[in-house]
Amino acid sequence: MSSVNKIALLTFCTALFMAGTAAAKPGDAAKGKGIYDKRCTWCHGAEGAGDGAAKNRLNPPPRDFTSGNYKIRSSDFADPTPNDDDIYRMIRDGMPGTAMPGWSDLLAEQDMWDLVAYVKSFASYETPPAKQVDYGTQIKSSDESIEMGKKLFEDGDRCVECHGKTGKGSASKRLKGDAGERTWPRNLTKPWTFRGSNDPKDIFTRISTGIAGTEMPSFADPKSKKKLSTEELWHVANYVASLAKTDKLVNAENTVIKADMVEGELPTTPEDERWEASTPTTFYTVPQIIGGERYFTPSNDTITVRAMYNDKTVAMLLEWDDRTQSIPGDDSAEKLADAPIAEDGVAVQLPVVIPKEMQKPYFGMGDAANPVNIWHWKSGTKGATETISLLNSKGFKEIEKRDAAGVGLTAKASYSDGTWKVLMYRPLTTSAPDKDIQFTEGRFIPVAFAAWDGSNNGEKGSKHTMTTWYWLLLKPAAGSKPLVTALIIAGLFVGGLLWWARSAAKPAA
Amino acid sequence: MTQKRRIPRLLQMVLIILGVYFSFILLFDVVLGQLIPKSLLTMYMLFVVAGVVMVFTFTEEGAQELVGPIKALVEDPSKKTVRNVVFVIVPLLAGYYTYSSMMPSFEAPMELRTIHPAPPTKFKAYGKSFNLATLENPYRKFQKEDPAKFSELVKAGGDVYIQNCQYCHGDKLDGKGPYASGLNPTPLNFQDVGTIAQLQESFLFWRIATGGPGLPAEAAPWISSMPVWQDFLTEDEIWKVILFLYDYTGRAPRSWAHE
Repeated sequence: MSSVNKIALLTFCTALFMAGTAAAKPGDAAKGKGIYDKRCTWCHGAEGAGDGAAKNRLNPPPRDFTSGNYKIRSSDFADPTPNDDDIYRMIRDGMPGTAMPGWSDLLAEQDMWDLVAYVKSFASYETPPAKQVDYGTQIKSSDESIEMGKKLFEDGDRCVECHGKTGKGSASKRLKGDAGERTWPRNLTKPWTFRGSNDPKDIFTRISTGIAGTEMPSFADPKSKKKLSTEELWHVANYVASLAKTDKLVNAENTVIKADMVEGELPTTPEDERWEASTPTTFYTVPQIIGGERYFTPSNDTITVRAMYNDKTVAMLLEWDDRTQSIPGDDSAEKLADAPIAEDGVAVQLPVVIPKEMQKPYFGMGDAANPVNIWHWKSGTKGATETISLLNSKGFKEIEKRDAAGVGLTAKASYSDGTWKVLMYRPLTTSAPDKDIQFTEGRFIPVAFAAWDGSNNGEKGSKHTMTTWYWLLLKPAAGSKPLVTALIIAGLFVGGLLWWARSAAKPAA
Repeated sequence: MTQKRRIPRLLQMVLIILGVYFSFILLFDVVLGQLIPKSLLTMYMLFVVAGVVMVFTFTEEGAQELVGPIKALVEDPSKKTVRNVVFVIVPLLAGYYTYSSMMPSFEAPMELRTIHPAPPTKFKAYGKSFNLATLENPYRKFQKEDPAKFSELVKAGGDVYIQNCQYCHGDKLDGKGPYASGLNPTPLNFQDVGTIAQLQESFLFWRIATGGPGLPAEAAPWISSMPVWQDFLTEDEIWKVILFLYDYTGRAPRSWAHE
């Protein structure tokens, strides 16, 4: 039995091992074409020019293979030729944060090598690259290495210039790709968007080769004023990998925002230290494609929520990364934006009546039988400050504007280094229970969110990102009941056991 | 029977029960990646424990041997130290269990739902009424009659798919599109034999045209994120995309003719 287990374990380990490396095999370009025509043309186009049917509805757009730009490659910075391995890995594993999936579950290994041969032919790459990235000896991540990497990251604005002080890629200037398309620096705190994985070695490779066709340069190029030695490259790679360790990762099992009960006053600012002690819950957001003008090219992909309440009010802190603070009317903001600029925004959606059974309102702004409250915050323009509005809706065609101040709904926001924090307050109860949700502790309250990045592709109105329903729970204080009951039960057990032991001992005695 | 020292029967029983428990966890949570609901696991384990106890106490000696160590623990004076330890641990465990089960639970409520609701016989879309029992894909006939035309129709369906459906259902039709992880319930996997291969094309047409809001009342909770595609696609486009779904996955729709 144990030997079977051992074999299984060994096979598993070997499989893991093999998954990590790919040995180049000769591919047959003609066979590759057959597979390409069935699987790849939809996005990459019949001639590999990245002009398939999906072209305008993907962000980032599909890769144009005829350009010869291979962004994710491990050949020397001076040689644009990709290794077969590089292309193979992209096909096998896909590119995180894009529509490119990994194909290993649908295509055989040889199929993928055939595709490599065919895809390469679009840019007429025939001979393999002469030189490879020089990795030297890998420096393992450590506090010192990360510290040194941070210094190099910031020195002379080396990486900070585009990626920002916190690595979130908050924009200070417009970037564009070779084809003139708008590009954005990577938000380094979101490891799930690293196209070639966030393993330090892969990060090293990106910094060393640069990213072809974009403004991300090679930092191994001796001609660069910002050149780094091999050792320094490892330090920066370790630092970048460390940026990804945030508490704002999505945990698919955590679908409940737990609001802690607070004695006394609630925090009055988004920066209040007490928020740090509150558990953050992060959700993926998806573009809105269910009603009105649909939207396919979002920039935001997550929202993080914390909540607290006291005997009068509930407070919700919404936090999401946005590379641009969008201020319509402000010159520098308008320059950074993809015109037309609109305000940034965020919205919370709650059912007017907390459902007793499973039936919730339709997640897209409610339905005729189940209306929702929407708290919609907008960041303001050059001449006007932030606003919060209250909407009651029964679907996106039946919206009633209400007076936010009238029910005590308020908001306060801050923006810094590529992150918005918006704090919303509302009294637990209002005078109109038929129109406003009445918060009750201990109940699971459906809640959904939406966000707008006013500098990205004109996000406004129905063009936004959103979540489906999750839960908000005002955590009730447990009181002493569980502890007292537990003590009684334990006592009963002690008594029972002693009685048993005594009665067992008697006949013997 | 050998006189070798075996594992005590009581320990054997406990090991088997624990083994089954962890196998469930391993199979569902790790291998299949499908979290097994706690209530379901409790129910399974109840049967497992009952079954194992029955097997172990099937014969009189078996039962004796099982209870032996427990009786010895209480009665045998030489086991005093072990007894004292057990007498401390058991009440503590009982107390802890009571405490943790009485603490309010913050786990999300379970949402059971019907995945394949029974279709209505008639439904409304595009301002007219469709009869699901007689509705057929007007393009299906070209598969035999005019293969060249058919493959053009499939291609047109593929374009519709990639511009509208892949975001959730994925390039590979496996339900793992770029935005799939933001949705609950997750999008349907058309590669799975349990999905479109089990359905008639008319059922697909109904699900696509009317989307999540078109689900019948018994499919509550009403949480499907499927858009109402009659708002965005023509009837024609839906029929073509259905051709594509079957063609790409290499599956055939069920038809009335064979039943």
